Amino acid sequence: MPKAELRQFLLFVFALLVPCFALWSFLGATLITPVIGLAHLILSNWFPDIVTAVYQQGADALLMTRFDQVNGQLVAIDSADAGLGFSINTRIVSYSIPFYASLHFATARTGYLASFCWGLLLLYPFILLGLVSICLKDLMVNFGPRFLEQPGVAVPGADTIGIAYQLSVLIVPTLLPVMVWAWQNRDTALLRGLQATGAARGS
Amino acid sequence: MLVFLAVLVGLFTLEMQTSVQQALIEPFTGVLASISASLILPFDDSVIAYGKILQFGPGGFAVSIEAGCNGVEATIVLIAAVLAFPAPWRARLIAIALGFLAVQAMNILRIISLFYLGNWNLDVFTWVHLYLWPALIMLDVLIVFIVYLRYLGRRAEAGPDAKS
Repeated sequence: MPKAELRQFLLFVFALLVPCFALWSFLGATLITPVIGLAHLILSNWFPDIVTAVYQQGADALLMTRFDQVNGQLVAIDSADAGLGFSINTRIVSYSIPFYASLHFATARTGYLASFCWGLLLLYPFILLGLVSICLKDLMVNFGPRFLEQPGVAVPGADTIGIAYQLSVLIVPTLLPVMVWAWQNRDTALLRGLQATGAARGS
Repeated sequence: MLVFLAVLVGLFTLEMQTSVQQALIEPFTGVLASISASLILPFDDSVIAYGKILQFGPGGFAVSIEAGCNGVEATIVLIAAVLAFPAPWRARLIAIALGFLAVQAMNILRIISLFYLGNWNLDVFTWVHLYLWPALIMLDVLIVFIVYLRYLGRRAEAGPDAKS
């Protein structure tokens, strides 16, 4: 990999990082709408006795449940809109988008826009998984056994939910954009040299 | 890719164990706080430091450096990437050691910058803390890994004697 390619890439990444994050902050609510809609479908069908809906409130998601708190005790309620709700910051999983955009547009390549859209399509399922794992964590922490031990419903174990949540928040939003970027740009001058290095080491 | 994912998930799961957190991660996080404090205190006598906490005088803005703010996850990603890539063990160990130092140097810069940003504007602090700095730390990991691969390439070009 020529030195100039790497230097140019790093310069452009740092130059693009703040504008991309600023644009994402501005568009945050729009970008997350499909994810919240899908999270609603998944969670309200997976846990119909617990989750009533996942609403959008700006860039946040509001997880509404069929429980309320009366005298410190959890009680099931009938009204769909009156239960306990948990506000979730979706940006902690969706900031993979501006990070990926910075990496993508900083790389000298052809066909920027189409590959960027494909990249987004790869990121979105993981943003959805991240949001679902945050919802599962909130339900587990707030409802405990009433959530984890629902009769006739397959609920992941507490450890699985914990690890999935931590992975989704701490690692995936930063690692996945790098992996998608590296895969999409494997034939560019920037990364071709690294592939040659890998082949040399592997032989 | 399978080795990378296996090492990544394995080390991350290990890190999340309560015993590992208590024996290793929390003391390490305390050391990071001490290093950050020792870098700030000579230049700013308005700052006080105790345990994992940095504070602007009594009652002033304070940050507590917690697990998740210690660069361990970024180091785990680097270790998984280095181990997944074919290379001599000596080169791998040196890359992990130097990469760890590079990540932690960046992380200390992050802690200090967030401390001052938080004292200035809490909204900016939240934005930079939650979104911008994690991306920068991962960029640091990517740069370390690219530099490591370039080093391996130069060794390979230098001939078989340089490989051992």
